[in-house]
Amino acid sequence: MMAVGAALAFWLATWALNVALARSRWRKARAVRIAVPVIFGLAVLVLWQGLVRGLEVSPVILPAPSDIAVTFANSTETLWEDFVQTVLKGALSGYLIGCGVAFVTAILIDRSAFLTAGLLPIGNFVAALPIVGIAPILVSWFGFDWHSKAAVVVAMVFFPVLVNVVQGLKETEAMQRDLMRTYAASYWQTMLKLRLPAAMPFVFNGLKIATTLALIGAIVAEYFGSPVKGMGFRISTGVGRLAIDLVWAEIAVAALVGTAFYGIVAMIEKFVTFWHPSQRVG
Amino acid sequence: MKKFVLGAGLALAAGAAQAADDVTLQLKWVTQAQFAGYYVAQEKGFYEEEDLNVTIKPGGPDIAPEQVIAGGGADVIVTWMAAGLAARERGVPLVNIAQPFKSGGLQLTCLKETGISSPEDFAGKTLGVWFFGNEYPFYAWMAKLGLPTEGGEDGVEVLKQAFNVDPLLQKQADCISVMTYNEYGQVLDAGISEDELVTFNYLEQGVGMMEDGLYVMEENLSDDAFKEKMVRFVRASMKGWKYAEENPDEAAEIVVDNDETGAQTLDHQKYMMSEVAKLTAGSNGALAPADYEQTVATLLSAVSEDNPAITKEPEGMAYTLEITDEALQ
Repeated sequence: MMAVGAALAFWLATWALNVALARSRWRKARAVRIAVPVIFGLAVLVLWQGLVRGLEVSPVILPAPSDIAVTFANSTETLWEDFVQTVLKGALSGYLIGCGVAFVTAILIDRSAFLTAGLLPIGNFVAALPIVGIAPILVSWFGFDWHSKAAVVVAMVFFPVLVNVVQGLKETEAMQRDLMRTYAASYWQTMLKLRLPAAMPFVFNGLKIATTLALIGAIVAEYFGSPVKGMGFRISTGVGRLAIDLVWAEIAVAALVGTAFYGIVAMIEKFVTFWHPSQRVG
Repeated sequence: MKKFVLGAGLALAAGAAQAADDVTLQLKWVTQAQFAGYYVAQEKGFYEEEDLNVTIKPGGPDIAPEQVIAGGGADVIVTWMAAGLAARERGVPLVNIAQPFKSGGLQLTCLKETGISSPEDFAGKTLGVWFFGNEYPFYAWMAKLGLPTEGGEDGVEVLKQAFNVDPLLQKQADCISVMTYNEYGQVLDAGISEDELVTFNYLEQGVGMMEDGLYVMEENLSDDAFKEKMVRFVRASMKGWKYAEENPDEAAEIVVDNDETGAQTLDHQKYMMSEVAKLTAGSNGALAPADYEQTVATLLSAVSEDNPAITKEPEGMAYTLEITDEALQ
């Protein structure tokens, strides 16, 4: 019970510290803005550790963060192999293919009113299919290895990106397009110089949504048949082996990768759409 | 005085009827004839006769009974001995109290056209395996055959197979895992005849492991009331099993009636019950220590990263004959 008390005391102390920091006159300083969430995260971990140890929770129900950290450090080889299989092969290739195809389709739709009427509903239909329904089908089409996982990711990211790009291409005003016409700009010149830049905030919106979808898709698809590696394989089979600490280590990797993936796309967005009001400082 | 005794007796009987002991049983898999004995005991009132109020919780692909019992969600679970021993080594001290299944239904079934006629032909082939704690016998077998499981010419390629037979039908795997009483029938139903198949039973290959035993937490066994409750539970359950063996069609109907998902069909359950009856036939519920020794020896002969079931001789009481000794008197 000592551990529980100590953890609760630590929780309250950090809470008070965070409140003080948020009210202090340095609250707008960069260091403080980073410190507050870091302290909060730390407090959660300490509370978790204290409760699990103090209440003697069985490690097959919920392992302590320290146990997970030890397992993480001891199984970096397995974690790396799973990362390569699921993230680099499954999620990333599916993301690139899915977003690329969605982008090209959006331009085709833009050129042809017929496609707008025909393709968007089909895209909508595919997006509405539950992953647990399409994953087994795609596994039987594309095999057990990462190809079927990439296919699931393609199906998942295609529609959000498509809708956002189609919407983004409608962003310019008639006045702006008329101006391009008075310059005698061709369709592609108008597209490259005016419409695509204007569409970028929407495009990146889709790309950011797709990052998390890609990771979820690749992991969950591995539940429906996989080679004996991959993050989804490890998570779905670890519980049966009571290797819960390894499952949590994989979850930690997934969380880190998901955050980093999102962060990278958000950084590219900042660079590309520097002109947009949402990115301007002050 | 006589009246008083009668009254006390009635009160006692009434009290006992009200205070039937609760037992929660966590199954290893969904409601199906694999667990017919328990459903029959429930339906036929065998549990009631023993003054028990039994709740049967079906399992599923994401439910590990070992985890459920560790979390206090069940008093007794159905699981395989390899998984039970693995849990024991990981700090969930499970004890086998009864073994209604004498033999095992786990098999590897292959298409003859792949050229496999004996285990020597596995090299270079792709094999479907169930994980989630069911992979221990497979890795023990491969270790016995000396086959690496990382693929390549001299090894075997391992696939994590979902709980269906599609990989065999679509020829994505040369062999797949089946249970005699379930998936094997599905392969036959899909139009593949028995002489197109080559089937290896794990028990016959000498790597069999006791399936579907009853396990409880060791600490509970120090409580005499709990022990006595388990004696009654095992006695009623075995009565249910023997009734199911003798009346397979009725047992199948009871199972289908108890399937809340409505996913099971009567025909399939009748097939399953007839096959399950072959596995329970040799058992009166008591575990044969020799079978336990064989499971442990097999697991210990195949300790590896892929097969982390147990790394040393199980410590303490991994099984007890006390419950069945008393129940079967």
